[in-house]
Amino acid sequence: MFTEPLLSGITLGGIYALIAMGLTLQYGVARIMNLSYGESLVAAAFAALWLFTSVSVNPLIGLFVIVPLAGIINWLIYRILLVPLVKRAPSRDALEVDSILATFGLLFVAQGVMLAIFGGNYFSYDFLSIPVKIFGATISASRLLALGFAVVIGLALYLGLTRTRAGTAIRAVAVDPVSAQLVAIDVRATAAFAYALGGALVAAGGVLVSMFLTFNANLGVVFTMKALIVVIMGGVGNLLGCLVAGLILGLTETFVATYVDPGLTLAATYIIFILVLLLRPQGLFGTRRS
Amino acid sequence: MLEVSGLSVAYGKHRALDDVTLSVAQREIVVILGANSSGKTSLLKAIAGVVPKSGARVSLNGRDLEKMRANDIVEAGLALVPEGRGIFGELTVRENLLLGAYAKRARAKEKENLERAISLFPKLAQRMGQAANTMSGGEQQMVAIGRALMSAPDILLLDEPSLGLAPVVCGELFASLGKIRDAGIGVLLVEQNAKRSLQIADRGYLIETGRITGEGSAAQLREDPAVQRAYLGVA
Repeated sequence: MFTEPLLSGITLGGIYALIAMGLTLQYGVARIMNLSYGESLVAAAFAALWLFTSVSVNPLIGLFVIVPLAGIINWLIYRILLVPLVKRAPSRDALEVDSILATFGLLFVAQGVMLAIFGGNYFSYDFLSIPVKIFGATISASRLLALGFAVVIGLALYLGLTRTRAGTAIRAVAVDPVSAQLVAIDVRATAAFAYALGGALVAAGGVLVSMFLTFNANLGVVFTMKALIVVIMGGVGNLLGCLVAGLILGLTETFVATYVDPGLTLAATYIIFILVLLLRPQGLFGTRRS
Repeated sequence: MLEVSGLSVAYGKHRALDDVTLSVAQREIVVILGANSSGKTSLLKAIAGVVPKSGARVSLNGRDLEKMRANDIVEAGLALVPEGRGIFGELTVRENLLLGAYAKRARAKEKENLERAISLFPKLAQRMGQAANTMSGGEQQMVAIGRALMSAPDILLLDEPSLGLAPVVCGELFASLGKIRDAGIGVLLVEQNAKRSLQIADRGYLIETGRITGEGSAAQLREDPAVQRAYLGVA
């Protein structure tokens, strides 16, 4: 009994962590507070749905099409829409405010387009919903696969950021963009790349989510909020924080839905969020900045 | 050879630098002496491309730098150790040093330059895995200079490297600058510590409220009564 919500919670939490990693990249490196972040997730979910139902492409293969495409689209959004803001912003704080306004607008554009195409109905598709027995619990194969992919992608990201020259440069820009240019890092190009990478990650999350959740065109905001909560709970810019906070959130939601009341999941999420903010305002793994 | 002429920097209406002309050759240490807020930091930042400059001609070994962005200026062979060091505090010493070699010009010789940086500052060898912000001020300055050297610069700019360091550490630091010069690098040094810097420098410039007001060999400057009064504490 107990292992079933545990497995579901870990799956959901793993995906939250993955989504939050993308947001923390966009925010921590490019200093763009992207309110239209969840829209990329929903768009990716719809793309996976369309590939599966119309051209019968398996979503796991779809990942290899949708994720790079989302990266390119996000890169273009950064270069065309956000670079003018970056250029005119007198400080990083000013850029944050401008980016909130700009991406807030982008949210409605993206949502409107999806509503126009798909309407407000909920969608889902039937992919590998075969029950699998694991530790005495039953879970659908699609959830397990989604978890597996989230783990692989998250691990690859972590290793990429900590073990490669390009990854270290990305972290350097997050720590100190002024000094980064003094070691020949092209800060603007790196920020664009980090923004695109964040968009690719959330698209991966969208494809994985579409394999086992129902979704509609309005759901983006919910995921933006959850990603934001995970990022702030874990500590801005901290990948390990994303993982831990994501798992906490996923497990809480699943356990509250199973044992208390499905209607209270959001309330439980916010109680934990507020507790973290009260007790550790810098986040679980964040460092206090002076 | 770094050549700067007609360099001005303005922040809004405030003119921080006015028509500055100077040069630094390979294998020499040039010191810039000036009081606080005389424009020394602006000068280094403008040369390195961190703040915008107007009307200047800045060239390094004949290549024009004035239109380049800061990251391209590093590629061209000029490295700045900024005021306050500017190291990546949350990253390890090794990561800081290797980021120094991010410039394409430095990648082929990354290993040699790392060995050179460590032979210059042997203390860093045991601290490679440590987060840079957990070290003492002197050690952080070593990381900052080591990181700049990792980019294989022809010209190294240093902004107040001795600020806040204990006298012993300060001595080590100035000794290391001599070794850097002997390796063939041109050093442009901005310093409060006029006594020590005139001891190791080859030449110097005096700067007052954004203008160059004097220049000469280090020996000449040491003997100059105005310099003695203003910077060397001689009555």
